[in-house]
Amino acid sequence: MTAQTHSKLRPTVRKNLLQELARLKTPIFYAILIFWAILCLAPLYFTLVYSLKPIANAYTPPILWPAPFTLDNYKTILQTFDLFPTWVWNSTLIAVVVTLCRVMFCAMAGYAFARIEFPFKKFLFNALLISMMMPGVVTLIPSFLIIGPGFIKNGIQIGALTIPTGFHLIDKLGGVILPGVVDAFGVFMMTQFYKSFPKELEEAAVMDGCGRWRTFIRIVLPVSQTQLLTLGLLTFQGMWNNFMWPMLVLRSPELFTLPIGLQWFKNEYYTLISTVLAGSLFNTLPILILFFVFQKYFIRSIATTGSKEG
Amino acid sequence: MKSLMKVLSAVFVLSMLLTACGGTAETPVVPATPVTIIETQVVEVPLEQTVVRLSGWASSPSETALLESLLYRFSVENPDILVKYEPITGDYKQVLLTGIASGTEPDVYYIDIFWWQELAKNDVLLPIDDLMTGSGVARTDFIPALLDAFTYNGITYGIPKDFNTLGMFFNKDLFDAAGLAYPTDDWTWTDLKATATALTDLTDPNKPVYGFCTAPDAGRFPAFVFQNGGTVMNADFTDTTLDSPAAIEAAEFYTSFRTEGVGAMPSDVGEGWQGTVFGKGQCAMVYEGAWLIPYLRDQFPGLKYGVVIPPAGPVGEGNLIFTVAWGISANTQNPDAAWRVVNYLTSEASQKTVLESGFALPSRISLQSSDYLANNPNSAAIFNGALNGAQPFFWGAFGSDVNDQMGKALERVFKENQPVADAMQQAATALRNLMK
Amino acid sequence: MENKLKRKKFKEALAGYFFISPWLFIFITFSVFSLGYAIYLSFTSYNLLKPPQWWDFEGYQRVLSDELFLKKALPNTFKYALIVVPLQTIISLILAFAMDQKLRFRRAFRTIYYLPSVTSSVVISLIFVWIFAPQGVFNQITHLTLNWLDSPATAFYVIMGMNIFTTSGTLMLIFLSGLQDISASIYEAAQIDGASAFQTFFGITIPLLKPVIFFVVTVGVIGCFQVFDQIFVMTAGGPLDSTTTITYLIYKWAFRDTTIKMGQASALAVILTLIILVITLLQRRLIEGSGSASER
Repeated sequence: MTAQTHSKLRPTVRKNLLQELARLKTPIFYAILIFWAILCLAPLYFTLVYSLKPIANAYTPPILWPAPFTLDNYKTILQTFDLFPTWVWNSTLIAVVVTLCRVMFCAMAGYAFARIEFPFKKFLFNALLISMMMPGVVTLIPSFLIIGPGFIKNGIQIGALTIPTGFHLIDKLGGVILPGVVDAFGVFMMTQFYKSFPKELEEAAVMDGCGRWRTFIRIVLPVSQTQLLTLGLLTFQGMWNNFMWPMLVLRSPELFTLPIGLQWFKNEYYTLISTVLAGSLFNTLPILILFFVFQKYFIRSIATTGSKEG
Repeated sequence: MKSLMKVLSAVFVLSMLLTACGGTAETPVVPATPVTIIETQVVEVPLEQTVVRLSGWASSPSETALLESLLYRFSVENPDILVKYEPITGDYKQVLLTGIASGTEPDVYYIDIFWWQELAKNDVLLPIDDLMTGSGVARTDFIPALLDAFTYNGITYGIPKDFNTLGMFFNKDLFDAAGLAYPTDDWTWTDLKATATALTDLTDPNKPVYGFCTAPDAGRFPAFVFQNGGTVMNADFTDTTLDSPAAIEAAEFYTSFRTEGVGAMPSDVGEGWQGTVFGKGQCAMVYEGAWLIPYLRDQFPGLKYGVVIPPAGPVGEGNLIFTVAWGISANTQNPDAAWRVVNYLTSEASQKTVLESGFALPSRISLQSSDYLANNPNSAAIFNGALNGAQPFFWGAFGSDVNDQMGKALERVFKENQPVADAMQQAATALRNLMK
Repeated sequence: MENKLKRKKFKEALAGYFFISPWLFIFITFSVFSLGYAIYLSFTSYNLLKPPQWWDFEGYQRVLSDELFLKKALPNTFKYALIVVPLQTIISLILAFAMDQKLRFRRAFRTIYYLPSVTSSVVISLIFVWIFAPQGVFNQITHLTLNWLDSPATAFYVIMGMNIFTTSGTLMLIFLSGLQDISASIYEAAQIDGASAFQTFFGITIPLLKPVIFFVVTVGVIGCFQVFDQIFVMTAGGPLDSTTTITYLIYKWAFRDTTIKMGQASALAVILTLIILVITLLQRRLIEGSGSASER
């Protein structure tokens, strides 16, 4: 008897508690979301505020609004170098070309690793993973040799034929673009995406007699547009912010990218922090706009299950 | 040879000097804020030009513009040479070494006193003695300590483009408020300590004022070792002397300011470097180089300060020389053209422009008597530092480790209260392990 | 029949190689050569100025007896990865899951959560140096007077916190696009069965997301073991070596020291690669089960 009442009672108690929790759930949930949002906004907001303050006030309150207000830092950045528009253009060109190539090539390779059976697939995939693990500091010089004069400076001579061992792309935008057109990170990411992808869709297409290429172009690419956009955004952002490699390859100021040019404001002995803050906002703005524009593709709608776009 | 007319133009940022209205020696003439001038000139340029690639780290935009204006003038006077300027805005040494490793380094580039000898040792640099004699440039034209610093095994490898030493900057207002006489070039450690104590005022916890700034910095501390008759390394740089009594004593003195509450690290008052601490009036005296002068002019225009040679220690004067030279790559295809560029950039006329811009001090000894230095005692104090017991900022093949260990020893004293002698001993032992 | 199967297999293989050809080209020209060259250098003494000299295992021996490596860089790197990888993965997964719900202002939240990831690691590091300066914004808000980046007790944790903070946005984005593949009908079915959000998360989302989780954790491990930019900008390995990591040490030996030790740096790079490889293999077991899931 007691046991029975007990077992009857417990679920109701639990249910009440759950209901209580459910009622509280939404506000708590939103409170956490807002808290994290404030945390995320803070650094950039402070950067904005202090970039609008004079250099002498780089550490003085108030922290929430720019007082005293000045646009000097932005003026300094725009006026010091007449090459500024060229740098923006170079950055844009590199980022756009690399992004387009990389998204396409990584999707292709990722699809192959996830879906197509070919010899040495496992070996190649593991090789891909290992290539991500070697720290860039030591691969910098060999990579530079390949982009530049080559391992053997004047190429390999076979009779009258000279086989160059390097691309001779130093101080050319191509030297930044070429090694970036596909990367292990992107291939790995697309592989993992396509692995968790429902197989049924392509199978239908293959049944219809579509070849691998047509299936890929017609079915796989459109359905995976969110993932492609994610990769595209990350690639664009990575290339836009890229510093080390362009700095090694690009030598002439007319070919600099924005991050290399903005580095000029870091002095040998001290840093004018407010100018640097303004410069970093300049650098950040395009990516923010891009993300905001492509936002809507990240929203999962009920319709995404099919081939219709969300 | 065919030639074509080419319009050369360059953007100049020049410091307009106020020498015209310059007053007495009491009020130093401060270069005004840079003014941008665009100059255009039509010159006849031969079709075939010799290309000389020239590289250095990009310091401030205005310093870069100064170099560009010199290069522009060079190109007007030497139309047969095309100088391609390739500034490096990031880690200079990394980019340069990558270039050397791949055989793509520029023809002419900056070499820093701190690490250039490794380049000479490995035959990466071109010996320039013959080129110098060929153009009638004598070693005696330059400040001896500077040119000696770029000589290895009796061979010259670089012409110093400019230099810095440490000067003692002092805040005149703080001295006036305390009713103390300004420092002179004849000061000693005793004066420094006594004055630092007198100037320290910790009554306002939000704005404590310290007498003297002692950063745990390998770019300051060695001056005290020299003043105490000590050295950092032995004569052939095979062993460290950081645990010698003279060095330990110097460290005792250097750290005593903070221990006794009359000195501070920049981070104690919440700053990254002592220049700002000095500018804000929270340190009455600091050891810095000429780079502090344009910084103070831009950031703390109202500050009244002076500069003297650092006080002498028990054994005498001691100072550090920081200098950078133009070196020529041993790989260059056109050594003569490269030399002409270097020779132009270090000529008396160019050096005078550099000096008058207020960015750096010239390496040519003839400029010691220039009007500019006569009218700017602050710069003169730093210039004269090179002639008063200064030694190059160079510690041999393990220089970066020596700096590292020196900095850490001071940090351990400051942050972990390690006894000074132990800290220096530990640094020396660590270095000997590395140098084995 | 068999012939036909063979032909089909051949066609598949051909298609496979066609699809990976752009990657393969770059991989062979750059990665294979670079890796091989770095491994070769690890057996040489090389100062970048003179051609490498064969050195046998001397470089490895020097690494394995180097105090800075054994006492600081190695433990620091493990500590860093052990703290940062789990935290950034969990936080970004929760964020992605939350952003996948029907929410008010979802779009705004998403943009905001992505903000910390927008700037380059170099720039955000500069900003954090400024925020955590003794008189910086952080101390002003909290009324603390700590010197965060100049104290061996706190500097490393500030860098860790910054890394978690900045990568969570990117990882959230990756999780979010992974979540897209989980068809809504599965969620609907779960809802009809009365599954709570908690149950849905662990019962459906996590298992289906395994390939993406593997990706995020692997990339996280690699990123943490190779952390460099932040340390380079914020502390340069200091104060008192408390933030020296393996990659920073490699850089120091390869470019920063007066006497360049590229060979020794390459030896350490090879060792680091092996460490990362072992950890990746272990966690692959852990996440994807014994190999079968990857063949899904």
